[in-house]
Amino acid sequence: MIESITGGYLNAELAGVILLLIGLYGLIINRDLIKQVISINVLSTGVFLFFTSLGHVSGGNVPLIMNTDMVDPLPATLMLTTLVIDVAETALALALILRMREDEE
Amino acid sequence: MIPLIIVLPLLFAFCGFVVSAFESHENHIKSIFLMGIFSPWPIFILNMNDYPVETVLGGWSRIAGIELGLGMLNHYFILGSLIVFSLVGVYSLSYFEDDGQKDGPIPGKRMFPLILLLYSGILGSFLTRDLFNFYIYMEIASISSIILVACSNAEGAKRASYRYLMLFFLSSFLFIFSIGIIYVKMGTLNFELIEQNLVMSREIKAAIVIAFVAFITKAGVFPLYFWLPSAHSKADTPVSALLSGVTVKVPIFGMLLFLEYTSIEFLTVPLMIVAFSSILFGIGMALLQSNVKKLLAYHTVSQMGYVLLGVATLNVFAAAHYAFAHTLFKAGLFLAVGVLISKQGTKDLDDLTSGNNTVLMFSLIVLTLAIGGVSPLIGAFGKHEILLGLSGMSFYLFYMGSIGTLVSFIKLDYKLFDLSVKHLGKFIPSVQEITAFIMALLTVLFGIYHYPKFNLLDLALMGIAVALFLLFKHIDLFEKNMPHYFSRDVKGLGSEINLYTSIFVLVNLTVLIYVLY
Repeated sequence: MIESITGGYLNAELAGVILLLIGLYGLIINRDLIKQVISINVLSTGVFLFFTSLGHVSGGNVPLIMNTDMVDPLPATLMLTTLVIDVAETALALALILRMREDEE
Repeated sequence: MIPLIIVLPLLFAFCGFVVSAFESHENHIKSIFLMGIFSPWPIFILNMNDYPVETVLGGWSRIAGIELGLGMLNHYFILGSLIVFSLVGVYSLSYFEDDGQKDGPIPGKRMFPLILLLYSGILGSFLTRDLFNFYIYMEIASISSIILVACSNAEGAKRASYRYLMLFFLSSFLFIFSIGIIYVKMGTLNFELIEQNLVMSREIKAAIVIAFVAFITKAGVFPLYFWLPSAHSKADTPVSALLSGVTVKVPIFGMLLFLEYTSIEFLTVPLMIVAFSSILFGIGMALLQSNVKKLLAYHTVSQMGYVLLGVATLNVFAAAHYAFAHTLFKAGLFLAVGVLISKQGTKDLDDLTSGNNTVLMFSLIVLTLAIGGVSPLIGAFGKHEILLGLSGMSFYLFYMGSIGTLVSFIKLDYKLFDLSVKHLGKFIPSVQEITAFIMALLTVLFGIYHYPKFNLLDLALMGIAVALFLLFKHIDLFEKNMPHYFSRDVKGLGSEINLYTSIFVLVNLTVLIYVLY
């Protein structure tokens, strides 16, 4: 269905870059701090999608048995680490926003 | 054995978090903290004689494993962070003492494990030779330093911390994006392997540009410095010393890795422009400040410009040496000024005075001469090496920067030294003064060791600086107050982030267009 709309031009890497740009745009136009945190998460999702799709081999197999045609497992594992950092930073940003709101009231 | 340099502080940080979660005596955490701070020293010294030491973790081949290395490239970075963390560690023992007051600094229970975490992140990023691993350690260091800034009781510390976090968050993800591009073109993230298979293509160039803009943001260099002055001035004194002294060197080391293992000749002109504008802008803003910590923070912006100049002239060792020099004297300055601030309870230059404290006065004079680049102190050595790569117009700009730095620090010394006042507030243990004094002594010793010459030109520069200082004082330049462009509430903070992101994107686009077309 998606391919019929995009005519086969949209692959995962391109989608990732588009998400990244949407995130940047959101960060430029939103004044609300919570929306900014959401925008930066959209941006990070774009980066994850871009990076994970780098390991893609069309028709590739699960990387369990060596010497078969398999996808590259490294990008996915690296993104697992980045996801953890993303969660930690989001939590930190939200905690800071809460504290600032408390201070203002 | 070198992985232990990272692992030991990390282990002690973990122990510190566990112990502080229970109702434990403060001395237990202090001893864990001190053990963590001094634990990397023996391993570093034992390995010093057989450089370069390289090891791949877990005994894997280079293609599969993570490589760590210790050599001339990172020797000065690691030595600098070990010295600064050891001295700041001793300093913070008395600084974070729980004195029962509500407004005082937060007790060490919360701070000490975080400082150890920062320590291990910083040492890790200086040791690693793997692009993704470098990113991980840089994140460990920056998250812990963001929390350390947020822990401060100063007004506006949370805002500073949020600004710091958002810009780091943004630049980190663009850095990962560039790592992705490098990975898809090279098929590896190990720097040695990248060097062996390097083919410069447009994609690799674009990736390096994006990575460098992220590094410039993280190092707090001029067009993207916004987070730095507020974060460095609002943090507690030991934390400011660590942030200004060591944390900003991590992205610089990243640039040096790229410079050493790939080719960045195409970036020379933009880096040169950024470096000089940062030097001059930082000094200009520092001249206008009356908050002493803000003044030092703006000098970090300008000094990072000098370090970047070393990168722009493709001279790895000039950048490393000047970064080392800056690590020592900036941390020393923050510590020395911090003693006065906690004694007198103000950050305003007009109210602060060193009184009759001769130890502190001596340290301040030595440190200000060192940051001004006067020989034979440590700043002169790095500046001498950077100058080798400059010519023509940039030569004069460089000396303008030196004079400006001297003017600004003559102002600092002039305002602090008031011999008539013998006002001494509440008693602060003199360990803090001694650590600042040791820092000053180290800048002299390392300076004489590296560059045992006396340059007559420095005297001329000092003369010009004194004349300029008198002129500026006459026209009341130092009394100008900076206007605030953003409202001081949450909405104002939101628009600040909007503006900073737009500038970040603009810088990225400009450099990309310059390099690719």
